[in-house]
Amino acid sequence: MNKLYNKYEKEILGILARYPAEGKRSAVMPLLFLAQRETGYVPTEALSNIAEITGISETDVASIMGFYTLFHAEPAGRYRIQICTDLPCALRGSESYLEQICEKLGVKEGETTADGLFTVEAVKCLAACHRAPMFQLQGDGEIKYYEDQNVEITMQIVEEIRHKVAAEQEA
Amino acid sequence: MIPITINGKQYDVPEGKTLLRVAQDLGITIPSLCDHPDLTPHGGCRLCDVEVKGLRNPIAACTLPVSANMEIMTETEDLQDARKTILELMLVNYHGPLSIENGKTNYFLKWCQQYNVDVQNKMRKEPKYKVDSDPNPFIRVDLNQCILCTRCIRACAEIQGRFVWGMANRGIENQIIAGSGVPLLQARCESCGACVDYCPTGALGHKPSFGAGSSEKKVQTTCSFCGVGCNFDLNVKNDQVIKITPNPNAPVNGKHLCVKGRYGYKFINHPDRLKQPMVREYLLQDGQKNSQEIGPWVEVDWDTALTIVAKKLIQIKHESDPDSIGLLTSAKCTNEENYLMNKLSRQVIGTHNIDHCARLCHSSTVSGLAMSFGSGAMSNTVQDIVDHAESIFIIGSNTTEQHPVIGSKIRQAIIRRKVKLIVADPRKIDIAEFSSIYLRHKAGTDVALINGLMHIILENNWQDQQYIDERCENFEEFKATLAGYSPEIVSSITGISVNDLIKTAEMMAAHKPMAVFWAMGITQHSTGVLNVLTLANLQMLLGNMGVPGGGVNPLRGQNNVQGACDMGGLPNVFPGYQTVTSQDFIDKFNLAWQTKSSSGKHDNELSIKPGLTSTEMIPMALDGKIRALYIMGENPLVTDPDVNHTRKCLQACDFIVLQEIFPSDTSAFADVLLPGVSFAEKDGTFTNTERRVQLVRQAITPKGSAKPDWEILSNLANKILNEEQREITGEFAGWDYKNASEIMEEIGALTPSYAGINYDRLNHGESLHWPVKDSQHPGTPILHIGSFTRGKGKFHPTEHIDPKEMPDEEFPLLLTTGRVLYHWHAGEMTRRSSDLLEVYPGAYIEVHPEDAIKYGIRQNQQITLNSRRGTTRGKALITDRVSPGLVFANFHFPGEQNTNNLTIAALDPVAKIPEYKVCAVKLVIE
Repeated sequence: MNKLYNKYEKEILGILARYPAEGKRSAVMPLLFLAQRETGYVPTEALSNIAEITGISETDVASIMGFYTLFHAEPAGRYRIQICTDLPCALRGSESYLEQICEKLGVKEGETTADGLFTVEAVKCLAACHRAPMFQLQGDGEIKYYEDQNVEITMQIVEEIRHKVAAEQEA
Repeated sequence: MIPITINGKQYDVPEGKTLLRVAQDLGITIPSLCDHPDLTPHGGCRLCDVEVKGLRNPIAACTLPVSANMEIMTETEDLQDARKTILELMLVNYHGPLSIENGKTNYFLKWCQQYNVDVQNKMRKEPKYKVDSDPNPFIRVDLNQCILCTRCIRACAEIQGRFVWGMANRGIENQIIAGSGVPLLQARCESCGACVDYCPTGALGHKPSFGAGSSEKKVQTTCSFCGVGCNFDLNVKNDQVIKITPNPNAPVNGKHLCVKGRYGYKFINHPDRLKQPMVREYLLQDGQKNSQEIGPWVEVDWDTALTIVAKKLIQIKHESDPDSIGLLTSAKCTNEENYLMNKLSRQVIGTHNIDHCARLCHSSTVSGLAMSFGSGAMSNTVQDIVDHAESIFIIGSNTTEQHPVIGSKIRQAIIRRKVKLIVADPRKIDIAEFSSIYLRHKAGTDVALINGLMHIILENNWQDQQYIDERCENFEEFKATLAGYSPEIVSSITGISVNDLIKTAEMMAAHKPMAVFWAMGITQHSTGVLNVLTLANLQMLLGNMGVPGGGVNPLRGQNNVQGACDMGGLPNVFPGYQTVTSQDFIDKFNLAWQTKSSSGKHDNELSIKPGLTSTEMIPMALDGKIRALYIMGENPLVTDPDVNHTRKCLQACDFIVLQEIFPSDTSAFADVLLPGVSFAEKDGTFTNTERRVQLVRQAITPKGSAKPDWEILSNLANKILNEEQREITGEFAGWDYKNASEIMEEIGALTPSYAGINYDRLNHGESLHWPVKDSQHPGTPILHIGSFTRGKGKFHPTEHIDPKEMPDEEFPLLLTTGRVLYHWHAGEMTRRSSDLLEVYPGAYIEVHPEDAIKYGIRQNQQITLNSRRGTTRGKALITDRVSPGLVFANFHFPGEQNTNNLTIAALDPVAKIPEYKVCAVKLVIE
């Protein structure tokens, strides 16, 4: 059928089997997730592949992808630090928190650290207003929430990850 | 009706409408931005929020159905405050002009003004997006002015059925995108411009007319591209067409248009336009033509040109006979002009040798349907089918590209009413994506396919036997031939699986009424008439004729090809299909058009034998049987099959007069060139594919010395009659027309199906489908209700016959030809509309990916196709629209890119239509 399908046929059939035959569009989200598993982002070609598999327009697939902070159109670092800057978080200081994290990591918002490990992103609501500032860490196929943050705690987490990666590399 | 109260005043309003619509009907203004009456209510902008008694919060009027005793306030202080805030929030991301420009109503700025919003200070200070960010030559995108109302998204989905626009990202980054955020054309945009029309701000604009300013006048007229018959307004400034805008009163298309109709107007003012009559130099000298070197053009005045034409035609008529002259009339010209060509041919010259491009497109439809039903035209109207059909069967019509507005109406019917669509076409055309069943049968196997479907229908007893018994004849004989079309046999001929054949037959039987649409894919075969007869059989078998939502619906190509046929632009019929083989009609027209020579004898003695078809006339020029051709608005050197042969024929012809708006390829062989005018420069009528007669209105003055074609023909006829000293004695023999309306009166007097059509009725907004029997008759939108034109519908047994030339070892590929969205036929108009040419600049040849690998060709690589008759060159377009072994090429480009260098002049024995759709070719890489 197409590149994505040929590559992951078995998994895709498994995903499609979860939904009624006439509701294939429901499979868009898991398919997007599958498409970005390897490289950490969804290449443009995969969008048209998913459109073909689900029978919806490419525009619809792109619209859905654009809405969610879990999907990415561009390649980035191994880990994405996604800081919510919507109104309630901003009221609890997330904007200056973001600024300081960027400064500590030596990047601007949206950029990746020189070692290719971290990309800092400002994102829309992550539904954790009561524990702001907070960020969501995406990487290695996992998503983790870190709440009630300040710069020191976050930088500790960053260092721990750096150590982990260094240890991995030595091994 | 239910009682409601708005702003303290009581009204009785209809149930089932939204409050916004009810208020609009009552003339009460509620501001709104995301709402439009043509589109699904969205409830997004919140500008139409109103207060409803009993509800705690304001509520959007556009999505609120009215209910009894509702009490509504539309303009309280709170609402005004809220609206102001909403507009200010929109301005956060807005950066655009402060005043309304370009004549397009900017509703956003209008409401800002009304609610005292300080646009200048509240709007974003610098643009966020690139202005004019999309390369599409028709649609100007400036996202800085977008307020995210989603009207473009809904217009694209609901009006055009294309789903190009969408909404991406979130919060402040929210924006509209095309496809996956790519340029519009890459996102499959068809450039129809609907999104622009529905945009309430300046975010989307019409690029070709951007900055052209406001028009001085608007003139409603009928489009001159395809046979759909869209109406629109020509916007005129300084005697030039500066843009085309939709006219909501347009009976066929409403506000919708396609890319050619809306944007393809630049040809009108192209510098190539012919502005002065021209003759070859030899005609001003000794009159001796050198057939090897025809000599240079000399510009002359009208009198000189017409005198030369008149004398030369008279000379040839006397040296040989009137039948040594042939006339090609024009499906691009008006009914009035076609009537005059028919009169010029039959009355003035005295020959039935008149034909036009219908020979090349729907002559097999006209012949076939006349045999089955007695009338060879589309039986139902588009709106009727869109409203009432339960299923639609499209076979051999690339509807969304060739008749784009009908294509989008079919998509609408599928989206809105869930109508079932069956598409059968050797190419996977765009509309196939909307089909419930798509059948990719082999080119040239239509009879077998349809016979196979009918075999299954009969086997299961799904036919409408009562209808057949009451309204049809010859059923048993027809039924007997179907025995040979078992699903297995048909599957082996067509390449369609037995299962798909059964599913298709079942769907046709279960979803009635079914309307059948076809075009050149059915007609342009050496079995064209058989194909049409077989479709007529299918519709009788299912009882789909003479009912709303059903019918046979051949889509006519040219804007007025229906009218050119109606007006006697055919060798075998007078206007209104009054046959020349009937002595009664011969007598009728001999009398009506009677002239008397100086000798005192009547000189109209029309033959009772039909004249020559265009596919016969042109080849006969080669052996001198045809000595002169009078061609109005046709371009045989691009459009005829096997044009290398056509070239030799035209070269051999003694005398060719070409009445044209551009120096076409054919003009190279013409002896006299008479400048006619485009549809924008004359009055008249076109008859669309639905038999609907519509006005064409003059908007600008003719270019240079060019004249409306009806005037040229009248002047020429008068010249010939004077030269021959013929006195006008018949009631309709004269040629002194003051305007087009007078010609229509004469048409009505002599043509029963047009009897009730006159400019008064058309100018009063009546939309008339012929037959219109008298001035009170309302016209006939649906044919064959109750009984067929010929009485009983006749079943014709048909058998599958292979196309004349099939692929073999030497020429292993099958070539099929057609058109593309951005061009029109021989391309004289669209190749001179720069924007259309920009999108589609040259010949492309569609090749299947498997063949591309086999021949080792890349996308866009220059390739050559050879047939036994010639060569054509184009760029490879690698696509699975075609199947392996099949190549497709369009015929919009002349010279070495012309597909008709390859095509075969194998003719249908009855209709004499050439087999453009099948010939054998080989592919060569340079």
